[in-house]
Amino acid sequence: MSEQSPCSLAALGVVSCLGSGPDETWRRLAAADGSRLSVRDDLAPGRSLLVGAVREELPAVPPALFRYACRNNALSLAALGQIEAPLRDAIARHGPERVGVVIGTSTSGVGDAEAAIAHHLRTQALSPSFYYDQLEFGGAAGFVAEYLSLRGPCYTLSTACSSGARALASARSLLALGVCDAVVAGATDSLCGLTASGFAALQAVADGVTNPMSANRAGITLGEASALFLVTRDAGGVQLLGAGESSEAHHMSAPDPEGRGARDAMQAALADAGIAPEEIAYLNLHGTGTPLNDAMESVAVAALFGCELPCSSTKPLVGHTLGAAGALEAAFCWLVLQKREDDELVLPAHCFDGVRDEALPPLHFAARGERASLHGPARVMTNSFGFGGNNCTLVLGAA
Amino acid sequence: MSLPARVLGWAAWAPGLEDAAAWRSWAEAPEPLGREGVPDARFLPAMLRRRCTPLTRIMLRAAYDACEEPLRSEVRTVFASRHGSINESIELIECVARGLPLSPAKFSHTVHNAQAGLFSIAAGNRRASSSLAAQQDTLGHGWLEALAHLQREPGRPVLLVVGDVPLAPTFAPLVKEPVCSYAVAWLLAAGAEGERVSFASGAPRGARSDLAWPDAAELLRWWLSGEPELEITGARQRFEWTRG
Repeated sequence: MSEQSPCSLAALGVVSCLGSGPDETWRRLAAADGSRLSVRDDLAPGRSLLVGAVREELPAVPPALFRYACRNNALSLAALGQIEAPLRDAIARHGPERVGVVIGTSTSGVGDAEAAIAHHLRTQALSPSFYYDQLEFGGAAGFVAEYLSLRGPCYTLSTACSSGARALASARSLLALGVCDAVVAGATDSLCGLTASGFAALQAVADGVTNPMSANRAGITLGEASALFLVTRDAGGVQLLGAGESSEAHHMSAPDPEGRGARDAMQAALADAGIAPEEIAYLNLHGTGTPLNDAMESVAVAALFGCELPCSSTKPLVGHTLGAAGALEAAFCWLVLQKREDDELVLPAHCFDGVRDEALPPLHFAARGERASLHGPARVMTNSFGFGGNNCTLVLGAA
Repeated sequence: MSLPARVLGWAAWAPGLEDAAAWRSWAEAPEPLGREGVPDARFLPAMLRRRCTPLTRIMLRAAYDACEEPLRSEVRTVFASRHGSINESIELIECVARGLPLSPAKFSHTVHNAQAGLFSIAAGNRRASSSLAAQQDTLGHGWLEALAHLQREPGRPVLLVVGDVPLAPTFAPLVKEPVCSYAVAWLLAAGAEGERVSFASGAPRGARSDLAWPDAAELLRWWLSGEPELEITGARQRFEWTRG
């Protein structure tokens, strides 16, 4: 595969229902704090949904960028604000033409467009506060570039629930190609009526909290988040070591039951990182809590790793943040590596009702407070699988 | 900096411009492309035709014409579209606003990677695939993302498909662009085979190129013209292609 050059995940800005910033996020993640979900009645008609909504007030999009004023971009701004100093340093060092932007999203500003579309239906006129830049997918990256006055490559990747992982994979390639010296990369997705109604229509939303890998699993819990990294060619720190991608060639909204696409993505990520399965210390599962995903993912994981590797789905804590999930869960892996204690990793717990599905391979789900002992460099993996059969697995590591 | 690739093939589709000969004639006397129309869907498996939006049919037609088996099921793919399936999303949002039930199958086809997903299913392609959007700079970033895939796996060609259809009337007044239906597909590779073309990007030096047809059609016009280089200035970036 590609030759290995350093790809540092040098700084992280993150906001989800777990809170704002790496430290608050880690505190609640490590404690497996399941209290952060909240009930919303306004997302899907006639239905109360438990969701992972960001609780804090978001920063306002600056008035000069009014064309981009929407919740999705306000979430991005909340994450950007946390790493503004290292970002400004990188821009000063390399110049605005050498800093790129690759953002994953599956929603962009759909939530704000819903109000504009309802306004149009009522009045046959455009809402005065609505601009297409809020809705179009490319606007998610465009906003970040405008906010930071960047002049490098700038695009949005939108491959449903693998968007966030894919954005980090492409950022790594832009650095390797030499077209950028730094990239702002990650993903943002916001709760909106379209996705809530859509997943409800697919009967894919759980009534209570999602229950991944349980015999009683009954669907997803929706969430929203932004996780943005400063990605550089520096050595050291937490590195993005490998990316593995595949397509399912199977069905638009259901994975191959044998998990071939998932296995291919994980295998390709290991090959890209140049490591063996036994070198992975922790796997953050896609673990959506739908019957089909969890069945095929556990088969694929067991086929490649056996059943010893500690793994967990963190979606019961934050919800399925869709287009942001790949970047948010990479952020969780980044935190696991950053917060290592001597030769041990503190693992995010797999939260479910504890009723294993006997039809599935007996994977090792990380228990509350569980730690993984390291016998070499720390390597962790995260899976993201999306509608359209689009899969992306990342390997992160630290010395 | 200049990034090389090899062109192994191309194909394009727009209303009235359905094969290579038609595009060669168009390139000699270019004019705005047709507003609406779709190719016959018989090349697609019957079970997929019903779910194919106009954009999907057009992008997959160009993809199939640019890349035949056995490569079609083995290439990496990049689908670049400014609007993607947004018209279908708008339709669903209107359903919700009217209190009507939402079709689950339609919902799963509103993802921006709907065209990529249906291509994967139709062609039996299980390789890496990106779908992207970059406002008025979508073409050049699509090319860059294709190069990013060649970087990841130099031995495997990448099929880049760029296309759009007119934005729904609800929002069309908000966007200034050539209003037409089209797709252009490029089969790109690293290695020694095919005609060499180099790509570079940078900050704009002048005003945005104001063309009467999409940037993707302009790139094809240039390719067929034999001119040594092409510069397209988008909203945020300037893109350059150089032959050889």
